[in-house]
Amino acid sequence: MRVLTPALLAAALLLSACGTTETPEAKPGAATGGPVTVTDARGKAVTLPAAAKRVVVLEWGETEMVSSLGVTPVGAADAAGYRTWDKAAPLAPEVSDVGKRNEPSVDAIVALNPEVVIMPEERDSALVPQLEKYVPVVVTKSSDASRNFDRLREDFRLVAKTIGKESEADRILSEMDIKLAEGRKAVEAKGSAGTPFLMADGYQQGSTVSIRPFGKGSQVSDVAEAVGLKNAWAGKVDPQWGLGQTDIEGLTALTDPKTVLFYSASEEDVFTTGLARNPVWQRLPFAVSKKVFKLDPGTWTFGGPKSVIGLAGQIVRHTTA
Amino acid sequence: MRAGVRAPQAARAVAVPAVLVVLIAVLAAVHLTQGTSSSDVFDVLKALFGHGDAQTLAVLAGSRVPRLLAALLVGVALGVAGAGMQSVARNPLASPDTLAVNAGAHFAVVLVAAFGLALPVLPVGGVAFAGGLLAAVAVLGLAGGGSASPRLVLVGSAVMLALQSLTTLLLISYEQETADLFAWGSGSLTVSDLRATAQMAPVVALAAAALVAMGRKLDVLALGDDNATVLGLPVRRTRVGAVLLTVALTAAAVTVAGPVGFVGLSAPVITRLLLPIAKHRVLLPVSGLVGVVTVLGADVVLRAVFGSATAVLVPTGVVTTLVGAVVLVWLARRGRSGGARRPAPAGRVGVAGSRRRLVTIAAGLLALLIVVPVAGLLIGDRLVLLGDLANWFAGRTGTALTFVLDQRLPRVLAAVAAGAALAVAGCGIQSVSRNPLAEPGLLGITAGAGLGAIALITAVPVAGTWQIAGAAGAGAAVVFALVYGLAWRSGLDSDRLVIIGIAVWSAGMSLITLLIVVANPWDSAKALTWLSGSTYGRTLDQVLPVALALAVLTPLLWARHRDLDLLALDDDTPRVLGMRRERSRLVILVAAGALAATAVSAIGVVAFVGLVAPHLARSLVGGRHARVLPVAAAVGGVLVSAADTIGRSVIAPAQIPAGLVIALVGTPYFVFVLWRGRA
Repeated sequence: MRVLTPALLAAALLLSACGTTETPEAKPGAATGGPVTVTDARGKAVTLPAAAKRVVVLEWGETEMVSSLGVTPVGAADAAGYRTWDKAAPLAPEVSDVGKRNEPSVDAIVALNPEVVIMPEERDSALVPQLEKYVPVVVTKSSDASRNFDRLREDFRLVAKTIGKESEADRILSEMDIKLAEGRKAVEAKGSAGTPFLMADGYQQGSTVSIRPFGKGSQVSDVAEAVGLKNAWAGKVDPQWGLGQTDIEGLTALTDPKTVLFYSASEEDVFTTGLARNPVWQRLPFAVSKKVFKLDPGTWTFGGPKSVIGLAGQIVRHTTA
Repeated sequence: MRAGVRAPQAARAVAVPAVLVVLIAVLAAVHLTQGTSSSDVFDVLKALFGHGDAQTLAVLAGSRVPRLLAALLVGVALGVAGAGMQSVARNPLASPDTLAVNAGAHFAVVLVAAFGLALPVLPVGGVAFAGGLLAAVAVLGLAGGGSASPRLVLVGSAVMLALQSLTTLLLISYEQETADLFAWGSGSLTVSDLRATAQMAPVVALAAAALVAMGRKLDVLALGDDNATVLGLPVRRTRVGAVLLTVALTAAAVTVAGPVGFVGLSAPVITRLLLPIAKHRVLLPVSGLVGVVTVLGADVVLRAVFGSATAVLVPTGVVTTLVGAVVLVWLARRGRSGGARRPAPAGRVGVAGSRRRLVTIAAGLLALLIVVPVAGLLIGDRLVLLGDLANWFAGRTGTALTFVLDQRLPRVLAAVAAGAALAVAGCGIQSVSRNPLAEPGLLGITAGAGLGAIALITAVPVAGTWQIAGAAGAGAAVVFALVYGLAWRSGLDSDRLVIIGIAVWSAGMSLITLLIVVANPWDSAKALTWLSGSTYGRTLDQVLPVALALAVLTPLLWARHRDLDLLALDDDTPRVLGMRRERSRLVILVAAGALAATAVSAIGVVAFVGLVAPHLARSLVGGRHARVLPVAAAVGGVLVSAADTIGRSVIAPAQIPAGLVIALVGTPYFVFVLWRGRA
């Protein structure tokens, strides 16, 4: 039997592979600082024997929060992608990749023997109860277009408390507040307060261009408004991320000649190359006034306070230049 | 032909194109007034008469005219290509979709994008052409060139299925790089410049003109290969030339707008209705016009119904696919039932004689049924050994290992059970439809289940297992009832059943795309993963529905193995033997549908297993269902379990959904089966 021979061989191999892989469980070092209880985005009280040192993070924004608080996670989902798309808080090279963000490997997570897993609410909800059988899971809100700034603070404090870095978090949050206030002052000093802006991602395939505006309530919009700008996009957006979608002529809704455009493009640059010769584009206020600003590569629009600080800096720099 | 018939025909040949042109003009005018900006009908009218404001002129030039021209180009290209393909294949069901040309071109483009190459338009067109051509050659070669049998469509649909699975794999693996390709994958007209259209227009014009110039030859080719040869036509060369031209047309359309579904299928069919005896020199251009009406009409209706702002999200191809599906169903219902009698779907009936061989096979399969799932428990991101497994069984493992094995067990069980269920369902469906290429997916069952489940996930994100299983079951039942009801016309014709199934399946997949892009455009990866069959995050209670269905329905089907044998034979024997044919068919199909639906609820949409497992089983033990059913069940379970293990481990910690592994492994095997079985 052609089919069976390899199968039987494999079986023989497996049977000969008796034995165990398990080493006696290494108890994590003596707990310091006593038990920690946090109430996460689900409203669930999660108790850890001590502030977690071995952390696995399953979304980039949360990975940034943990790194920026001075803790190197033992594992992160799509670490390679994080290093490309979010440069606000560099991730140490020894961090293990635990798989893609939409289907992280449960085996890989557990193999790292973490003390806590931090993951956002909207990713696979079936994973949470499964992981919780083995390791405490702290769930963040990740985004909420109705109150994104408060949500950011809550998520950040939640993460910080989980890993015992609350004072560090307060320091970073006040740094953020100072940066935003300074930015606001600089914008006002230039007389640019109230400048209408559009923030958008663009995608191109052949001649097909789709544009994804960040509407009111998206985190980047909150950042820009915090330094005194005004979101000009009034189209329909989704309630979680504050994202909308439109095409080039949809942008004609923007009529204020003072409007500026911010966009992020890590690959091809739709706005300056793909649309440059388009007559609708050429008449758009920011194209006329040449106020089209590309955010630095690696500016993650769904990041933590460090991303916010970086983003605010870029917005202020471009608006006051 | 008498002159009296000729005259009205000639008049029609003039009147029909004239009416079409007027219709296109009207649609184009409406099309120009639709859009996301505030320029409305009056602004556009003023602009057209030379009094427009600068803003409206810019909107027209920068957005609406490019979109209109793209629609025109795509419509013409696909309409002419479809008509050409139907002539070459001598089959009214041939089209860029059913010959997998669309899927081949799309796959090639996504492949290039996934590897981060942003190519200019012309090379993309070349890539699309190469992909489409490969797919077309494969399908025509495997189906035995020109033949009126639905085999061509089946082969094409199966190849399309395989290519779509591969495309999905790329879209999932390169989520960030291909974020924009999901909606485009269904055909989108949201163009913002004329570059692609302008560069593809000469290709389309030349190819269409060349095809029309070949009109006389195509007329002769339609008489059949022998007659054409007698009349001095170089049949082979003509056919190759025509195929190349139609593929070029399709590739140009894909380059501009992505695969716009079913235009190439419905346009020539509608043309033949309007001009029943038209020669190719009329048929081809008129099909192009009808193609334009289809694409333009779909776009106009889409934006009228959803409003322009929301319609931006919805690919135009979704609508044309729905239109095309209706045409396909209508076509299938209109066709005569019966037709050429085909042999039973057996590889080598009756060769499985010796008892020893049977015992060997049974023992081997049993061994595999134990070894493969056990291997599935051992292999993964973390390799465990049998000793660990024994410890776990005895409850002596530490928390980490206990957890790893606890979460692996449901995945392995889900894979085995769903694989077995799909295989058994496939046996039943292949027997009833007397079609060796039929499978649960092609009958719309999986699309229905997927639609039900995705609709529920979309509406109630926190829906529990049983609710999702229930929704999948309900969706499968509704869609299956639809297929069955549509295929029923004073009896069930097997070809009709399969073709209507393909139509409904395509429509179902389009609606799923629609649901995803409208409800949750930022998390297409999750829906795609689910749609391509994954055991990720399964729990034991999710395995229960499919296990129950297997336990109850497999014996029920097995008890009817004689019916299955007879139904697979031909239409008359069961009647002669006094069997209640229709009732038996209904029972078998309902059982098969329930099995497939629960399988979908357990691991999502897995194609190919229901197709391949019965084949493998028949080649092992012959065609008798008493033996085929249990063997196929074992083969199906082993296949999916192995695929699941491979998907979990080869690129760990990242994972490939089991359904995609099956497509990767199943496609070559399937191509081999087709190649061996070509008439």
